[in-house]
Amino acid sequence: MMFRWPSLPVAIALSVVFVALACVPFVLGPYAVKFTTRVVVLAIMVTSLDLLIGITGLVSFGHAAFFALGAYAVYFVSPESLSANALVALAAGAALAALGALVIGVFAMLTRGFYFIMVTLAAGQMVFSMFYDTNIAKGSDGAYVNVKPDLIVGGLTVLDFDNRTQFFYLCLILLATTYAFLLWLVRSRFGRSLQGIRINEQRMRALGYDTYTYRLAVFVIAGAIAGIAGALFASIDGYITPELASWRESGLAIMMVVLGGTGTLYGAVIGAFAYSVLEEILKSASTVGPFISEHWRLWMGLALAVAVLGAPRGLAGLFARKPTAEKASASIDVLHRDFARPARRAQALSTRDLTRYFGGLRAVDGVSLDLKGNLVHAIIGPNGAGKTTFINLLSGELKPNGGRVLIDDIDITGWPPHRVARSGIGRSFQRTNIFPDFSLRENCGLAAEARLPTGAAAERISHALAVAGLRDRADTTAGQLSSGEQRQLEIAMLIASGADLLLLDEPLAGMGPEETQRVVALLRDLARDHTIVLIEHDMDAVFAAADTLTVLVQGRVLAHGAPADVRGNDAVREAYLGEADAA
Amino acid sequence: MDLVLIQILNGLQYGLLIFLAASGLTLVFGILGIINLSHGSFYMLGAYAALTLTEPLGDVFRALAVGIPLAFLFGLAIEWLFIRHLYKRDHLQQVLLTFAMILIFNEVQQTIWGSHPHSIPTPPYLTASIRLTETLSYPVYRLVLTAICVALALAMVIVVQYTRVGRLIRAAESNREMVETLGFDSELLFRFVFATGVALAAAAGIIAAPVESAYPGIGDKVLIISFVVVVIGGIGSIRGAFVGALLIGLADAMGKVFLPSLASVMIYAVMALVLVLRPAGLFGRA
Repeated sequence: MMFRWPSLPVAIALSVVFVALACVPFVLGPYAVKFTTRVVVLAIMVTSLDLLIGITGLVSFGHAAFFALGAYAVYFVSPESLSANALVALAAGAALAALGALVIGVFAMLTRGFYFIMVTLAAGQMVFSMFYDTNIAKGSDGAYVNVKPDLIVGGLTVLDFDNRTQFFYLCLILLATTYAFLLWLVRSRFGRSLQGIRINEQRMRALGYDTYTYRLAVFVIAGAIAGIAGALFASIDGYITPELASWRESGLAIMMVVLGGTGTLYGAVIGAFAYSVLEEILKSASTVGPFISEHWRLWMGLALAVAVLGAPRGLAGLFARKPTAEKASASIDVLHRDFARPARRAQALSTRDLTRYFGGLRAVDGVSLDLKGNLVHAIIGPNGAGKTTFINLLSGELKPNGGRVLIDDIDITGWPPHRVARSGIGRSFQRTNIFPDFSLRENCGLAAEARLPTGAAAERISHALAVAGLRDRADTTAGQLSSGEQRQLEIAMLIASGADLLLLDEPLAGMGPEETQRVVALLRDLARDHTIVLIEHDMDAVFAAADTLTVLVQGRVLAHGAPADVRGNDAVREAYLGEADAA
Repeated sequence: MDLVLIQILNGLQYGLLIFLAASGLTLVFGILGIINLSHGSFYMLGAYAALTLTEPLGDVFRALAVGIPLAFLFGLAIEWLFIRHLYKRDHLQQVLLTFAMILIFNEVQQTIWGSHPHSIPTPPYLTASIRLTETLSYPVYRLVLTAICVALALAMVIVVQYTRVGRLIRAAESNREMVETLGFDSELLFRFVFATGVALAAAAGIIAAPVESAYPGIGDKVLIISFVVVVIGGIGSIRGAFVGALLIGLADAMGKVFLPSLASVMIYAVMALVLVLRPAGLFGRA
């Protein structure tokens, strides 16, 4: 599901918590104020981690490194016995952490999944070693910020980080600001793209999103926020140690995000408070007795284990509304044939000696084809003939070992998938490849916004849904569609993306006869303003839909021409059609 | 030059030791699909088991003989208690639960053995050193330690390559669903693999104890290095873990000679380099 505003009860609860926190200095003593300040600062850092984990799907195990960089930045800008400018200190924290995130991110974004977790873990350890083993900031002993930052404007002290109450309110306001900023960011176009990347990065690439840059950008943003939190943290005690960057701190931050519930943003705040308060309670002998407080880590570990096993969606998940199951309607709306749109010249696609090996196997072997514009081109061939490899070479998912791919006269050989997509090629995958948690409109929105401003995108989305015959179901969750309808949605996404050339890998797989007929009609209709290349096994559908037929066998073109001519070709009968008839 | 030679020997020995820990980690991830942050704790518990068992039993090899089966049983219990609940959960929850396990194991260690480092005696008949060259001698125990690691590594290769269980492990590593579809009891296989991983990590902790001694943070160090090794070698690949462990062992040892202030960064630099060239590790499937 796309990120939604917090529900009304949650919003009220958050406001109550905010007011309650604001009352802490009036009600409780200085120790409680300091403790709460620390937790509020942690909450800022943990919320920025949720932007990576819960929103973008990047499980960073090195987030504490950016927190530490922010803290050390305050040390670097603070003179020995004078106070630093508070704004400079915070800005330095954000800048140093953002720089660190950029340097680390450039490498880390090359990896995914488990490898990403490990690379960020290692990067965090490198930052730790940098401060621990070298003398740039007093090494393993840790460093002191002797005089805390303040801000003096015209002789008047506006901000003084040494004033505990004032500093507490500053941190609280920054937490609220961070939350508001992230709410805005996540609901912006950029944020929607991040959510698309979390759910299906391959699809986003194929739609023309440069996912590497998006991931890197969000990594740097989250790093900068963690840096601000680190700068605040350094101003609480005025003492910083390399341990701030260690993997345990990163692990704790992940723990707080997961404990609170990922992908909600406010869950991270809940997690930070729940963890810190529980730790504080377990540590205090007067509340729980010396037996528990002496072994508080044991009880903390057990409590967390119970929380993971008992509340898989985190503490926020306990309060969140259950998604209301929309009733999947079985009604099939007819294609909107009356949807008039002008014919338009679509780009042509050609290949020259295109070749790709896998080890010794020549999966695609010197294929030269001219696929003219505004036609439906079908590629058929027995299993293992290299059809999908061929499509992957056209879309940039695979790089060829030799030969060229051209759109009209532009050589796109070797371009990355998102760049190919931007130059006009849209593709579907053999296995349905949509964003199941998003509505149909949101799915098409992600496709359209890869290239269009938001306003123009809205029009394109309705157009695409109408052309694909899904207009009435725009707000249904995509995962509830039948498999045939999901393939239609894929086509709608391609139309919405504005792609000229559609590469469809078995668009009819798993469809009943009625659905097949409908999609064949859709394909014929689409050829008025698109060029279509499809791989298909359903021979009747191929003959009904295609203008040209290419037979691939063992990576080579066996025949190419009008369907009727190819059907008459003896070699083809022997190699392929005979086999299909027998089956 | 002598220092370099010594460090090569130390690097190989350290690499082999890390291989024992990392091989369990890579199998558990490759087959069970579990990110186990508490793997280092089993190494730590092994080191402390050596501390407790060596005195009553006489020497560290007897402690090893008793410790391995104990660790295997402990692994079975941990799998039943915690790990089996994680098979269908996502990575985040695995990270969280195994992180919680670290807290628990550390507290158990603190309670039983306290926070001071302890040394474990080298068996008296192995305290000598061998002269390798005119000016260079090397402790016998370290050579024996290396030999035991090689023996365990070979035993593992034989089990994985030539036995029925090993075939099943390899099959599960390449396609877990298929093995289940074929009707094998994957739960039993998982439990066996996890307990084996625990036993290997503990074995490494026990035999290394006379050299490395036993202290509270020892598990963390091994965990991080093992993860680096697994990533370099490619997830699930025993061969990759072997090559990766030796690479890291040597990089670490050489770093201490040539770049002492940056030694701890060396291993991460090696990892970064490998990942840039091969994002799925040396022997991993892309």
